[in-house]
Amino acid sequence: MNDTRTTDGETTERNLVETINRTLADEMRNDASVRLMGYDIGPIGGVYRTTEGLYDEFGGDRVIDTPLSENGLLGTAVGMAMRGERIVPEIQFMGFFYPAFGQFMYTLVKMHERSGGAFDVPMTVRMVCGGGIKASEYHSESTETFLVHTPGVRVVYPSGPREAKGLLAASIRHDDPVVFMEHKKLYRTHREPVPEEEYTLPLDEARIARTGEDLTLISWGAMVRHAETAADRVDADVEIIDLRTLSPLDIETVLESVKKTGRCVVFHEARRTLGLGAELTAVINEYAFDRLHAPVQRATGYDVHFPGNQIEEAYLPDPERAQYAIEAVMNYEF
Amino acid sequence: MALWSEQKPAEDFYRVLAPDGTLVNEPPGLEEGELRELYRTMKLTKRFEDKALKLQRAGEVSIISRCRGEEATPLGAAAALEPGDWCLPLYRQRSGLVYWNVPLERQLVGLMGAEPETIDEHLPDDLEEPDVNFSPIYVPLGSNLPNTVGSALADKLNGRDTVSLTFVGDGSTSEGDFHEALNFAGVFDVPAVFVCQNNQWAISVPAHRQTASETFAQKGDAYGIPNERVDGNDIFAVYEKAKEAVDRARNGGGPTFIECVTYRIVEHNTADEPSVYRDEEQREYWLERDPIDRFEAYLLEEGVIDADTIDAMEDAIDERIDEAVEIARDVPTSSPELMFENHLRGTSWKERHQRAELQRELDGKNPFVDWTGEGFE
Ligand SMILES: Cc1ncc(C[n+]2csc(CCOP(=O)(O)OP(=O)(O)O)c2C)c(N)n1
Ligand SMILES: [Mg+2]
Repeated sequence: MNDTRTTDGETTERNLVETINRTLADEMRNDASVRLMGYDIGPIGGVYRTTEGLYDEFGGDRVIDTPLSENGLLGTAVGMAMRGERIVPEIQFMGFFYPAFGQFMYTLVKMHERSGGAFDVPMTVRMVCGGGIKASEYHSESTETFLVHTPGVRVVYPSGPREAKGLLAASIRHDDPVVFMEHKKLYRTHREPVPEEEYTLPLDEARIARTGEDLTLISWGAMVRHAETAADRVDADVEIIDLRTLSPLDIETVLESVKKTGRCVVFHEARRTLGLGAELTAVINEYAFDRLHAPVQRATGYDVHFPGNQIEEAYLPDPERAQYAIEAVMNYEF
Repeated sequence: MALWSEQKPAEDFYRVLAPDGTLVNEPPGLEEGELRELYRTMKLTKRFEDKALKLQRAGEVSIISRCRGEEATPLGAAAALEPGDWCLPLYRQRSGLVYWNVPLERQLVGLMGAEPETIDEHLPDDLEEPDVNFSPIYVPLGSNLPNTVGSALADKLNGRDTVSLTFVGDGSTSEGDFHEALNFAGVFDVPAVFVCQNNQWAISVPAHRQTASETFAQKGDAYGIPNERVDGNDIFAVYEKAKEAVDRARNGGGPTFIECVTYRIVEHNTADEPSVYRDEEQREYWLERDPIDRFEAYLLEEGVIDADTIDAMEDAIDERIDEAVEIARDVPTSSPELMFENHLRGTSWKERHQRAELQRELDGKNPFVDWTGEGFE
């Protein structure tokens, strides 16, 4: 998929919920094989209201409320996708994705490869993730590592409404299975101008959110805005990469940037151990070692289960944590 | 705007107390004191949840799921247990917890979002603890069910006459765990009781969307498990069938599956607004079948309680709730380092290091300046 945005189109201020809702509707109008599946997506319009109004417009054969089973949902969606339907299942909370791990590992990520490319599984699993709204443990998880560790599935993670629109349209139109991460904290906290025109964005290209010369700050999802705040506060010229797609990784953009700046911080909400920061650090170590002025640092969540409401703020990475990591790396001396 | 159509479940279930409080079957042989205790538990549960709802609106509690209108189901089931038995509850069984004296303070501090370690450390030592063993409340739907089989199998293999009891919502019977658990329970013939609290809704999805079976109870047949279908708003019916099941399990008769038909007359939880997806006609119907009103009518008629006992009971209940709220409010906010507690016994370099990082962050010092892995400074 290409970046098909024109530059001078009309825009409207929208939040992520509205953007996802409108993009789903656009894609459903464009292609009769696009169907939404999940529990609580029909008359209620999703517990976050991302599918509001779609049941009324498209009916129960296009917006399909399923029994309460994640594995049943995902497995049925794969079967439909094998037969040419374009299914968009919703996983209401990432912390409740795990019952579906069987179908995810056995069929969703494998069907294309095991059939020697004969079968496509064109589906976009909308995965509601992330913490910060005091919803506690299971309702706050960021375990994208499980997904990224698995070959055969794209993992897409928008940092805001404008990116989300093009990335979601591209995901739905793509013949590969995609997990589309929706950080619930982003749903209503942030509005930005979103182009009215239809557009897609590439599903394997990172976005340079800000150019800079001193340090590369790699981030994605809800952390990108914290990264921008941190970059504003530090006394350094920070380049921010919004990965947008976690799998496949846009290694070229990462290496090009790090080779230019010589310093890097990876900033993510997920736990540190085997978080994507580990992979990025390894890749940078392998291919850009002689350009580095300092070790790559990781500013992340801690290696614990997502904690209770009273202390979630201490767990969650914030601009201060990114700022500390940037300052540590900037001040590093051999 | 589209709303779900609702289907009334068949009411040919086992019933002792009709909605108007008259007897249609022989009541279980409970003493007057026990009857009053069951009644008091329902009232306490209701008033406690009313209070919790107020605290939620005031921002002291983040979210709460109530069992309002469903009190008889968890209560009747839990009351059938004996001291030393096991119960693995979900989030909508408060009356069962209250019956066995899971301290209100403990429940409240949990709702206030404290870490379990804070609750253990700061609640008064002299709080009465329950005689039945309660697991932590299960949130991932279905996950309690295989654990209950395991709990019961452990007792069976060790020759103990202990019973394990758990619950499952109508919606959660769709999870694979439910079917796996019932199958294991049947194969191993374990001393377990599974209570399906069929309140006819799973957030916005009606029960008729969860299964094509005529009843939930009949799912027991598929796994070779005796099953019952009872009026879940009738404390006597639930208690009696649960008691039979618990006794059978204790005497080596294996598992039972009981469907209790009730109705979620309230929101799924405080983040939910049911009028978006259902009309309130059914709700009216079920309000007339309220478990507390029904039992109260019976007890008044039988002279087990009167207006004065009710007043005195309500005063005592409110006093107890107020006391619990005060004690809960006195529990300090959890400190952040508790997030590291109880992971692999705290022996790893990584945990020590991240604890130090967090402490530095809290102290306003840079946590990313250990360049050797040997510590800070
Ligand atoms: C595995 C899993 N999936 C989804 C959820 C989110 N969720 C919480 S309660 C609920 C509905 C449960 O309905 P039901 O089983 O009927 O129980 P009730 O809430 O009506 O008592 C859902 C979907 C969850 N907690 N766990
Ligand atoms: Mg239910």
